[in-house]
Amino acid sequence: MKTKIKMLSMLLIGSMLLLSACSSNNNSSDAGATSDSSESSEPAGKPTELTVAFPIFSAQPKDMTLIEDALNKITIEKINVKVKLMPISFSNWMQQTNLMFSSGEKLDLMPTISNYNQAVVQGQLIPLDELLEKHGQGITSALDPAFLDAARVKGTIYGVPTLHEMASVNGITMKKEIVEKYQIDTSKLQTIEDLEDVLKTVKAGEPNMAPLLPSTIGASILNDYKTFDELSNFLGVLPSFDNDLKVVNHFETEEYAEQLKLMRKWYEEGLILQDASTNQTNPLDLVKSNRGFAFLLSAHPAALSEGAAGGVPMKTVAFSQPAVSTTSQITNTMWGITVNSKAPEKAMEFLNLMYSDKDIANVLIWGIEGKHYVVQSGNVIDFPEGVDASNSGYYLNAGWLFGNQFLSYVWNGTDPDLWEKVKAFNASATKSKALGFTFDPTPVKTEAAAIGNVITQYRLPLETGSVDPDKVLPKFIENLKAAGIDKVIAEKQKQLDEWTKAKQ
Amino acid sequence: MSVRLENVRKKIWKFSPLYFMMLPGLAYLLINNYLPMYGITIAFKDINFAKGIWGSDWNGMQNFKFLFSSSDAYLITRNTILYNAAFIVIGMTVGVGTAILLNEIKNKLAVKFYQSALLLPYLISMVLVSYLVYSLLSVNVGFMNKTILPALGIDPISWYNEPKYWPFILVFVNLWKGIGFSCVVFLAAIIGINKEYYEAAMLDGASKWQQIRKITIPLITPIVIMMMMLSIGRIFYSDFGLFYQVPMNSGALFSTTNVIDTYVFRALMQLGDIGMSAAAGLYQSVVGFILVILSNYAVRKFSKDNALF
Repeated sequence: MKTKIKMLSMLLIGSMLLLSACSSNNNSSDAGATSDSSESSEPAGKPTELTVAFPIFSAQPKDMTLIEDALNKITIEKINVKVKLMPISFSNWMQQTNLMFSSGEKLDLMPTISNYNQAVVQGQLIPLDELLEKHGQGITSALDPAFLDAARVKGTIYGVPTLHEMASVNGITMKKEIVEKYQIDTSKLQTIEDLEDVLKTVKAGEPNMAPLLPSTIGASILNDYKTFDELSNFLGVLPSFDNDLKVVNHFETEEYAEQLKLMRKWYEEGLILQDASTNQTNPLDLVKSNRGFAFLLSAHPAALSEGAAGGVPMKTVAFSQPAVSTTSQITNTMWGITVNSKAPEKAMEFLNLMYSDKDIANVLIWGIEGKHYVVQSGNVIDFPEGVDASNSGYYLNAGWLFGNQFLSYVWNGTDPDLWEKVKAFNASATKSKALGFTFDPTPVKTEAAAIGNVITQYRLPLETGSVDPDKVLPKFIENLKAAGIDKVIAEKQKQLDEWTKAKQ
Repeated sequence: MSVRLENVRKKIWKFSPLYFMMLPGLAYLLINNYLPMYGITIAFKDINFAKGIWGSDWNGMQNFKFLFSSSDAYLITRNTILYNAAFIVIGMTVGVGTAILLNEIKNKLAVKFYQSALLLPYLISMVLVSYLVYSLLSVNVGFMNKTILPALGIDPISWYNEPKYWPFILVFVNLWKGIGFSCVVFLAAIIGINKEYYEAAMLDGASKWQQIRKITIPLITPIVIMMMMLSIGRIFYSDFGLFYQVPMNSGALFSTTNVIDTYVFRALMQLGDIGMSAAAGLYQSVVGFILVILSNYAVRKFSKDNALF
């Protein structure tokens, strides 16, 4: 028996050795081939392999290897780096990346999606200041320094924001067909209160259509309507994006109470989707199927240019307020180098290319010319013949995710000058007084956890008008206090004061 | 002493093939169930990925605090235990009852049909169940509000905003979904009962009711107790789908639908703190473990044969 086991293990070890020998052989021959082909390029030797993970919001693209090959052709020549892309479905994104961290799996670059601060606190990302100085000129020249500064956590940069709309303005998006049918004068829509007449007209004319919808699944009507800087997490906000940097409890403000009253009134008059607090359907789908008319959103140039979102022509109007930049808008998508990375310098070089190399940007964002898109005219592209969103091998349609989308083409149907407009929009936006401040909830995480529950319990029913604010709002505030919101606000104020002091 | 040792050695030798056959199972148990247990330490740590799991700082019971600090602590514990207790009692009674009824049906085809019909909901995902419930209870288009309530002359009810109905809805949904499975288990136990008992009873003129009470129920008691113990061990866990999906995560219903699992989920969704989630999981399993030991002890007290261990 013993000898048998011995033999078995020998066999196993033998085969393992053989396998590893094979694979290392492969690698070296690979490297040899590439160095042959790119004799002129100075960085010789084996290319460094980088693993780059990113979330995808659709099915796994078929042509990942083609994309990698196209990328590697450029990267091996320029920086002697071989990139392995790892698209992860967004529903598994958090879990899978967390697992990769806890098991120390190979991962060099990844974006944080709305969890930048948490990733920093948990030590997932490494400081970038030095690397940016050494290898990141493309990044620093592409980004407004104020936006890069917004990425500082306690003075250190851990991530680089992607170039997208860095500001937004409150607005409403409506079904174009209905707007035209009732000849709604959209220039009159200056504030949220002005909506009432429009909603009433729609209600009267289209009895089966809910005039006002929640902004997204599981969100309230007011989810995207912001008159304050939420300072990372809504627990303690800066009203009017200024308030002399004095943090207040948004849910206790007069303004919030007024908004809730308005919502309640609209709900009772049937101007709001009656199922709003439990709605599980994407508002655009509701609009598409003629069950809804409009919803509030954070508007920006891409939305304001009359586009057909999800196949439904929409008319988007911005209320007459200035567009504002807050930290969350900038830090919602941040590329960082992970602690798992063995080659942070190379990773930074590749990140730099993502922000400065047009070809890399286009390959990552749109794929391969002739196969996944064709240039129509200038910088406008469309599907090649016979290809559409359903059968394309690479159609992520998430330009905001990959570094510098301003380098990339725009899709047919969008404004060809879109990027110029976005740039102008970003430059013109008012900057919140707390722009660059990020709240670290770790010292109060026990409270934050309890408050999270209170918020889910009350916010949605209140902000959809489903319950009476006169009765429920006091209870909401009381429970928030019991859960310790005052402690969180005090902590936030403390951090904000420290941040202000450090800035001066 | 040495004789006894000798005996032990002999025994081990005698049963060595059996021990050998046990190895794969043991290895599986060790790798899958015991090795990952080092993760328990996460519950007591301030996790920092730069330092790794072992290197992260210990932070004592800090991670557990959020479970008990809020005013909801009592509510979620009460909901979890009461719901599970209701599920166990009602589920067992109805399960045994249905199994006995099914056993009495003599038409083989009909039995098969009923059994499959009962089992079908068990195989449906909770997400789908939640939409089935939604189609009944939706404010605008729900079957209840559109058809049943008007027929009875009752005003439409905003189901997803009225917590008072939900204890009944949830118990019913759970019963509807789980009954098929428990019924199959009990039916298997009933079928296993020797038919001679019934024949003898019939000869003595026992009625159907007497047969059920004096033969069927006593003979399936061990299975019932085993099933009960298993559920008691999980009394601090709750079916996440049932409590999260079926009420559509409606905030207005939290007073009757929030349980430990949903509370933890909601609390940590934004924080994403794995230390705290590990703490919650550990707390649940420790309490579950204690409850199993205690209930087994209780069972032992009054009927030793029926105890699990």
